[in-house]
Amino acid sequence: MDKDKERRKRLTSLPFSEKLKILAKLRDRDRAIAASGLRKKKVRQAVR
Amino acid sequence: MKTTLEVINGMVNDGVIGKYAIGGAVGATFYLEPLATADVDIFVMLSTAPGSSLLSLTPIYDYLRTRGCQVEGERVVVGDWPVQFLPAHSALEQEALAQSVETEVEGVRTRVLRAEHLVAIALKTGRAKDYARIVQFLDQDAIDADRLKRILMRHALVDKWEKFERKYLGG
Repeated sequence: MDKDKERRKRLTSLPFSEKLKILAKLRDRDRAIAASGLRKKKVRQAVR
Repeated sequence: MKTTLEVINGMVNDGVIGKYAIGGAVGATFYLEPLATADVDIFVMLSTAPGSSLLSLTPIYDYLRTRGCQVEGERVVVGDWPVQFLPAHSALEQEALAQSVETEVEGVRTRVLRAEHLVAIALKTGRAKDYARIVQFLDQDAIDADRLKRILMRHALVDKWEKFERKYLGG
């Protein structure tokens, strides 16, 4: 838990430009997962 | 993001939009750890078309289309980010825009909504992800409680805040 807090604190203290680079990487990873078809159905679709 | 902001700043310089500021998850990332998101919310001051009282996003879309940007539903892909332009309709959004803070992204000047306005707008919007974001702001002690209280009072959001507190913070 302390390690997680430390990590979050470190990420929070990064300059905005650096945080935005991380956001772009997260977005690209999300797009890659979506394009691969690996993503599970949304829960609402799955339970219908 | 640098290219995206350069294009948006160009829209200001060309008179297509008025003042703008980043909101949503990207705006929250200014104050918090990076929050995964697929798009950028841009709160924007628009002027009404001559002879009309309606605010229209059409000039924005037209401007960006001529610069090769793709419109995808409510979003326009500017640079490598889908952008949603949100006209500052309400008094809360107009105040948020007026009091936004200036910053730089890779040398490009831009503006971001204040943390307390991001929280108030999230509270007003009221989706699950908005409430989750408010909890993150509180967890990371990223808001000025007095400033938030004044905003909530000015915009009649105190009751909604108290309901949020009872439901999510056990208050």
